[in-house]
Amino acid sequence: MRLPIFIHRQPRDFAGVVSVLTEDPAAKVLAGGTDLLVNMKHRVEMPGMLVSLKKVADIRGIGMEGDATVIGAATTLKEIRNHSELERKYPALVQAARSVGSYRHQAMGTLGGNLCQNTRCRFFNQSWQWRQARSLCYKAGGEDCHVIGKKQTCFSTYSGDVAPALLVLDASVRIMGPGGLREAPLAALYSGEGRAPLTLGSGEFVTAVVIPRTAARGRSCYEKFSLRGSIDFPIVGAAVWRGDDAVRVAFTGVDRAPVRAAALEAALAGKRLTDAALKECATVAHKAAKIARTSVHPVSFKRELMGALFAKAMREV
Amino acid sequence: MGKKSVLELKINGDTYEIACTPNTTLLEALREKALLTGTKRGCDAGACGACTVIVDGEAVLACLTLAVEAEGCDIRTIEGLAGNGKLSPVQEAFVEQGAIQCGFCSPGFIMSATAMLAEHPNPDREEIQRHLAGNLCRCTGYAKIVAAVEDAAARIRGGAR
Repeated sequence: MRLPIFIHRQPRDFAGVVSVLTEDPAAKVLAGGTDLLVNMKHRVEMPGMLVSLKKVADIRGIGMEGDATVIGAATTLKEIRNHSELERKYPALVQAARSVGSYRHQAMGTLGGNLCQNTRCRFFNQSWQWRQARSLCYKAGGEDCHVIGKKQTCFSTYSGDVAPALLVLDASVRIMGPGGLREAPLAALYSGEGRAPLTLGSGEFVTAVVIPRTAARGRSCYEKFSLRGSIDFPIVGAAVWRGDDAVRVAFTGVDRAPVRAAALEAALAGKRLTDAALKECATVAHKAAKIARTSVHPVSFKRELMGALFAKAMREV
Repeated sequence: MGKKSVLELKINGDTYEIACTPNTTLLEALREKALLTGTKRGCDAGACGACTVIVDGEAVLACLTLAVEAEGCDIRTIEGLAGNGKLSPVQEAFVEQGAIQCGFCSPGFIMSATAMLAEHPNPDREEIQRHLAGNLCRCTGYAKIVAAVEDAAARIRGGAR
């Protein structure tokens, strides 16, 4: 599969990236390439210009800024996976990075790329030939969503591993754009809309992730269920964080964005977390998401998995 | 639009001048421009590991690497492992342990194993399995491949090069 034709730019600094993204609003940022280039080969994404982050300064590395841990967006998942201090402070993050794809994907893939990966669906992530069998789905440029049979809507599923871990760690993202650098909670990066899953404005891109010091005061865990442990996207992934008087829970693989389970967190508050209490709460875990059948796995199976993975992760923290 | 440029790629210690458009992957540059066809094209979408090469010491998927972004890097392919008529310890171990059947996945496995052993010279069985998990083999059932990597690790520790 040949890649479609595009113009390739390699700016050296943040301002250079912004200027290319502003010049061509359809341009896409290229980091590890393990998501975007596959989609381009399948002809579901066809940007006329790619802006590579390879040569951009100050966008890679793990460090401290005051009390907070700051991880550059182009830091590879392998660097995160092998970082002993991150593993001690934020085990869920390292477990999530370790569970992404294969070792090759972790060596190539980046933190920012994992967070900003496109949503997935059985009607979208297919070769051009496969998709010729019926009309294009809404996300690929057509009219109908083949999953729910409605016009101009898209239920493609967010399937990144790292986002739920960072959501329970209360992380924020730094975003650079024409208006300068801004910081936003990670949850605000996601629109909850399948066709355009990110809220990034024109000319904007993610430069770093910030994890507050308070996140290190609790224990965290990420549990993933996939068909093959070696390489697959999660069918469902669950991250939990447990502090002295609060529990935070997030899921991936279940909705158009990674979701925090607010109702579940409220149900857990102040409860003694016995096995019986966890089992009871696990039955309502699925209420956090609007699951659509975007993969071969039935909705009921994913609902059950949400509860099971949540309970499994809670027993680890 | 997508203008051709001449890249200087350093492959197995030699410099190749390759004229290509930005949409050329490293895999296409290696196989079709440098005519180094030892690196295999399998799924061409990052799922099978057949195209694994070593770029700056890291095992990467050549089908998802742009040739233009590999300029200035040290690229090693299966053709660069043997020297002076002698196979590398990993290649030798694969042959002697019978870890090759049809041979299509072998270059990818051997490059993955070579990069892993440079980083972890003393891996246990589980570590080997985890590192090679992104490489698919439809013939061997993996047991002999894992045994070959264990054998190669012992050879390298014993001073083989």
